[in-house]
Amino acid sequence: MKESYRQADENELVQASLKGDKLAFEEIVSRYRKLVARTVKGMLGDSVFAEDIGQEVFIKLYYSLPEFRGEAKLSTYIQKIAVNLTLNEIKRRKRFFSMFSQKGNNEMYEYEIADHEAAEKREATELVNKALMGLDPKFRVIVVMRMLQGYSTKETADILKLPLGTVLSRLSRAQEQLKEILQTI
Amino acid sequence: MNPTEIKKLIIASAAEEADPHETPGKLEDEGVSFDFSSDFTDKVISRIFTEKLTVIRDIDFGRSLSTVFYRIALTGVAAIVILLLSIFLSEGSISFNSFLGMGNTYDESVLYLLTGI
Repeated sequence: MKESYRQADENELVQASLKGDKLAFEEIVSRYRKLVARTVKGMLGDSVFAEDIGQEVFIKLYYSLPEFRGEAKLSTYIQKIAVNLTLNEIKRRKRFFSMFSQKGNNEMYEYEIADHEAAEKREATELVNKALMGLDPKFRVIVVMRMLQGYSTKETADILKLPLGTVLSRLSRAQEQLKEILQTI
Repeated sequence: MNPTEIKKLIIASAAEEADPHETPGKLEDEGVSFDFSSDFTDKVISRIFTEKLTVIRDIDFGRSLSTVFYRIALTGVAAIVILLLSIFLSEGSISFNSFLGMGNTYDESVLYLLTGI
C-alpha cells in the first residue's frame, strides 16, 4: 500500500489525504519534510523549536488541504505555510523573549554526530546557520528563499507577498550584512 | 567542507544576478543539509490522527449533550402542560390567581392567612 504512493503524483496524494488516507499524507510529509526543514531551520536555527514548527506546518497543511485548489504547486503551498508559521514564531519570540542572540541558539543545538562525515556536515550547516542567524529576520527570509530553496527573486516576492522592488532592495542589504557577519565567523 | 567556499556561496547567493537554482545544490555538495529528526514523520502523523480522534470524541460528546438537553426540555414542556391542565380542571380557569393557587380564595381569607388578623 505504502509502496504504491511512492509513484503517486501530488494530486493523487492530496485526493487520498482528503479522504483521510494516513499513508498518502505520510508520503506528503516524507516528500516535503526537507523543503520545510530548510525554511524553518534556516529561519529559526537548528533549535528544538524548529522541529515543533515543522510539525505545525504539516498539521496546518492537513487541515487546510480542502482549501488547496491545485492552482499552484503543492510545494509552493507548503512553502507559504512554512514561511507564515516561521515568521509568526519569530514575532512571538521577539515579543516575549527578545531572543536570537547567537548564544541562545547555540545552547539549543541538537546534533547527532555519527562519524567524521556527519561532523563535517554539521560544521557546514552550522556555518550557514550562524550567517543566517546574524541577519535581520526580514532579510533572512529572503536569503533562505533564494539560497536554501532556490527560488528566483520573483518567486520569492510571490511567496512572501512583497513587491519585487522590496525583495531586491532587501536582498542587496542582506548581502552587505552577510559580508560583515561572515568576516567575524 | 570548505568554509571559504561556503562563505563565497552564501554571499553570492544574495547577489541579484546570481542563479538561485544552483546555490542549494552547491551548498549540499559542501555538506550543508537541513532535515528534521528521523522520527519526524511518525510524530506528525501521530499528532494529526490523535488530534483528529479527540475532535471526533468532542463532537460525539457535544451531540450526546444536546440530545440530553433536548429530552430534558421535552420533559419540562410536558410537565408544564400537565400542570396547566390540572390547574384548569381544579380551578376552572387558568388565570394568574388560579395559577398562584388563589383562584377560589377571597381576599379577606388571604389576609387572615397571611397576617392572622
